Amino acid sequence: MPLMKRTIVLLLFCIVLFSVNCSRFHNAPTDSKDARYVVISPIYNEIIWALGAQNTVVGIDLSTTYPPEVKNVQTVGYHRALSAEGILSLHPTAIIHDNNIGPPQVVQQLQQLNIPMKSFSAKNDSFDGTKALIREMGAYFHKEARAEELCNTMDAQRVASLEKVKQYTDHPRVAVIHFGRASNVYLVVGKGGGGDGGGVSQMVELAGGQMAIESQRMQRMESPEIIAQANPDVVLLTDYGYDRLGGSLDQIKALPGVATSNAAKNNRIFRIEENVLNYFGPRSGENIAKVAAIIHQK
Amino acid sequence: MLNASNITFRIGNKPLISDISVSFACSKLHLIIGPNGAGKSTLVKVLARLLRPQTGKVEYEGTDVSTASEAELAKRRAVLSQAVEVAFPLTVREVVMMGRYPHFGGRPGPTDESVVDEVMQHFDVTEFSERDYQTLSGGERQRVNFARVLAQLWRDGTVDAAPSCRYLFLDEPLTFLDIRHQIDFLKKIRTFTDAPDVVTVGVVHDLNLAARFADQIVLLNEGRLIANGAAAEVLTAGRIEEVFKVKPTLIQSEGSGMHLIFD
Amino acid sequence: MTKQYAGRQILIIALAVVTLLVLAASIRYGAIDFSIAEISRALTSLIPGQPAPTLDQRIFLELRFPRAILCLLVGASLGVGGTLMQALFRNPIVEPGLVGTSSGAAFGSALFFVLGGVFHIGASLWSLPIAACAGGIISTYLVFLLARSREDGRASIVMLLLTGLAVNALFMSAIGFLSYIARDPQARSITFWSLGTLSGASWKAVEIVAISTLAGSIIALRYAKQLNALMIGEEEATYLGVNVNRLKWIILSVNVVIVAVATAFTGVISFVGLVVPHILRMLGGADNRFLIVGSALTGATLLTLADLIARLSVRPAELPIGIVTSTVGVPVFIFLLRRRQYVF
Repeated sequence: MPLMKRTIVLLLFCIVLFSVNCSRFHNAPTDSKDARYVVISPIYNEIIWALGAQNTVVGIDLSTTYPPEVKNVQTVGYHRALSAEGILSLHPTAIIHDNNIGPPQVVQQLQQLNIPMKSFSAKNDSFDGTKALIREMGAYFHKEARAEELCNTMDAQRVASLEKVKQYTDHPRVAVIHFGRASNVYLVVGKGGGGDGGGVSQMVELAGGQMAIESQRMQRMESPEIIAQANPDVVLLTDYGYDRLGGSLDQIKALPGVATSNAAKNNRIFRIEENVLNYFGPRSGENIAKVAAIIHQK
Repeated sequence: MLNASNITFRIGNKPLISDISVSFACSKLHLIIGPNGAGKSTLVKVLARLLRPQTGKVEYEGTDVSTASEAELAKRRAVLSQAVEVAFPLTVREVVMMGRYPHFGGRPGPTDESVVDEVMQHFDVTEFSERDYQTLSGGERQRVNFARVLAQLWRDGTVDAAPSCRYLFLDEPLTFLDIRHQIDFLKKIRTFTDAPDVVTVGVVHDLNLAARFADQIVLLNEGRLIANGAAAEVLTAGRIEEVFKVKPTLIQSEGSGMHLIFD
Repeated sequence: MTKQYAGRQILIIALAVVTLLVLAASIRYGAIDFSIAEISRALTSLIPGQPAPTLDQRIFLELRFPRAILCLLVGASLGVGGTLMQALFRNPIVEPGLVGTSSGAAFGSALFFVLGGVFHIGASLWSLPIAACAGGIISTYLVFLLARSREDGRASIVMLLLTGLAVNALFMSAIGFLSYIARDPQARSITFWSLGTLSGASWKAVEIVAISTLAGSIIALRYAKQLNALMIGEEEATYLGVNVNRLKWIILSVNVVIVAVATAFTGVISFVGLVVPHILRMLGGADNRFLIVGSALTGATLLTLADLIARLSVRPAELPIGIVTSTVGVPVFIFLLRRRQYVF
C-alpha cells in the first residue's frame, strides 16, 4: 500500500533527525563566584575592553564590533531581538545594557526570573558625558586607576587633535550617510538632537567641518532634495553602507540627491568607520584628528 | 410537478429572463433550447433555486420553493452542469460520494456506499474508482458527474409514506461530449425520467437531439418564452429561422421522428 | 473508500507520533540542553512542599516548556488556517495571509508599538495581542466588504483574492509609514517582530492560543464535509445543500481568529499555511476531515522543527523563525508548483 510506505519513510526520517542531534550538556559553573556579564551595548563593551575588564564578559550583542578582540566572545544576537534563554545559557551574574534592548516580552521574562540588570547613568553624548561614563564604569569594574588614565588620555588627545584641526583653513559642509540595518534604508544624519545624531555633528564640528543638513534627526533619503538643497562639499558614508555598495563611487552618486552636489563633482566621497564617528567613546580624542583628516581631503 | 409563474431575473437593470411562465410534468423530459444569450441557463438556475428571481415564483408540487432549506432541497433536487473543475486530487469515488452528502451527517453509511457502487457501475466508471478525477477526459468526467447526480437523487424501490418528486436539472451537460456519449447520456436520462416521480428539465444546443429525445420543448429568445410544447409544434421552419437566424429543412421520418437539416 | 480511510487513520497516528517526538526534542534542546533528569527535577519542584526551583529549572518551566507548547499550537493554527483557506478559495496557492489577516495583525501590532510609546498605554501582556487581533479583524472584514458584489451580496472567491491582495498592499504600506514616523527603537521592534519569533512565549500566551486553536479546529472539523463539497465548485456545493455564503463567513472568521491570535504572540510567520496542506495532500488525498487534523499535526511539527533550527543554528543567539520558514518554504513551494499543473 503506497500510503503505508510513505508513512514508514516519514517515520524513519524523523527518527534519524532526532538521533543525529546528539546532546551537549552545558557545564557552565552556576555556583561560581566570578563575575560573568552579558553586555549589550557597543560603547559599554568598548570601554570595558579599554579598562582591561574584558575577562568578565561572557556575552556581547551583535552590534558590538570594537575592539576586534570582541570576536572571541559569544554573541547573544541583535539587541532588539534577544532571547532570554540564549542569554541565560551563558549563566551571567548580571546583564549590562543601555536601555535599548528588546523585545519587551524578553525583558519581562528576565525581570521575572530576577536576573540582575544594570545600566549606567552617565551617557556618552559628549566628551564630559563620556568621561563620566568611563569613571562610573571604572568604579563598577574596580578599575578606577585605569579609568582615570583613559580620561586623561582622552583630554590630551583632544587638545592635540584640536591643534591639528587649526591648520585647516576651510570649513567644508559635510553630509553624513548612514545605513540603518534595522530599517534597511540609507539615512542622512542631521545636526541636532541627542543620541547618534548629536555625536556625529559634534565630531564633525570639532574636526573643523559644518553639518550640511540642518534637521534634528536621521532621515530617510527618500527625497533627492534633502541632499541636493544642502549641497555638501564632502559626503561621508559609514562603513557598512559604504561597503554595501562595493565602494563604488558611481553607485554612491546614484543615491538620491548626491550626484548634483559639490562633493560628487569633486569626488570628495569618503568612507568612515561608524565607531569612529557616530558616538563618543575613549578614542574620540584622537578620532577628531582622523575625522578632520578625512573631511579635509581634496 | 414544477411550476414557474411570471419569472423575471435581472442583473442590475438588465433582465436576463422576463415574465416566463411554464410547467413541467413528472415522467417527462423537457428540453430548453434557444440561441446564445436567450436566458436558458439563467432559467434553469432559477428553477433549481440557485438564483432567486426578482418577480414571480417557482413551485415544487405546489409549494413555493423559496421557503425550503438548502439541505432539505438537496435531497430531491440535483443539477448536472456543463463541466466540473476540481483543483485538488480527489478520487472518482470521492466525487461520486459527494452526491450522497445531503443524505448523511458525519460518515457515509452502508446504504451510501452501495448506492455509489451501483451508480458507478451504471455509468461504467467503476474501473476509475481510485483514480484522480483530474486525470480523466471530458467524457469520463461527465460520466462521473452524472453518477454523482444520480447518487444524489437515488431512491430505493420501496414507496415512501409521503413521496415528493425528484427534480433533475441539466445545464448544457453534453457540451464536451463526443456524439456517442451525447446519445448515450440522453438515453440514460430518458430512462431515468421514466420514473413516475421524476421531473427532468435540461438545456441543450443541438436541435436534432432535442427533437429526438424531448417530450416537451421550451423555446426561449432574448429572455422571453417564445413557444412551449411538443417538438412538432415548436420546431416550425418559420420560427427556427426567426429565432436562430438559420434556415432549416424539416424531415419527418417514421422510425426516428423529426430531423432538421441546415444549409 | 474503506481502504483509503484506514490508510489515512494510520497516517494520522504516525503524524501524531512524529509530533510527540519533535516536541520532546524541542523541550530538551536549545541554548541550554536539558537532560531528562533535569526535566523531571524541574517538574517535581512544582509539587507543593518540594524545594523551590533553581534558575535553570525556572528557565525550563517558564521559558522552554511554554515555548515548546506554544510552538505546537501556533504551528497547528497556521496549518489549519492554510487548509481552510485553500479549501475556501479552491486554490492550492493560497495562505491565510492572503485575505489580509496577517498584514492586518501586523499593522495592529505596529500601531501598538508606535502609539503605545506615545500614549503610554498600559504594558499589559494582552494589549499587543488584542491590537493584533483588532487589526486582523478589521483588514479581513474590509476585504470581505469590498469583495461583495453589488447585485446579490455574494463575494466570489476571485474577488476575495484580488481584494485581499489590495488590502495587503494597503496595510503593508501603512506599516511602512508607521516605521517611518516611529522613533528609532520602536521602528526596529516593528521590523523584527514582522519576521516572527517565539521568544516571547509564556504560559498565558499558551492559554489563549490553545483556546483559539482548539476551538477553531473543532469548528472547522464540523464544516469539513461542506468544505469538501466546495471543492467541486460553489454552484455544485449549493446544489448539494451547502449554504455557501454562510460557510464562507464562518470559515473566514475561524481563520481570522486562529491566525490573528497566533500572529499576535509570534509575529508574521509565512509559508507554513501554504506548504503544510500540500504535503498532506500528497500523503493522503484531499478530504478535509483528514486535512484539518493532519495539517494541525504537520504544522505543529514543522514549526517546532523550524524553531529548533532557529534556536540551535546560531546559539546562544536566535534566528527569527520567519526566516527559517521562508528559507525552507520557498524551495519546497517552487518544487510543488513545478510538479503539477494546478487549476486556477
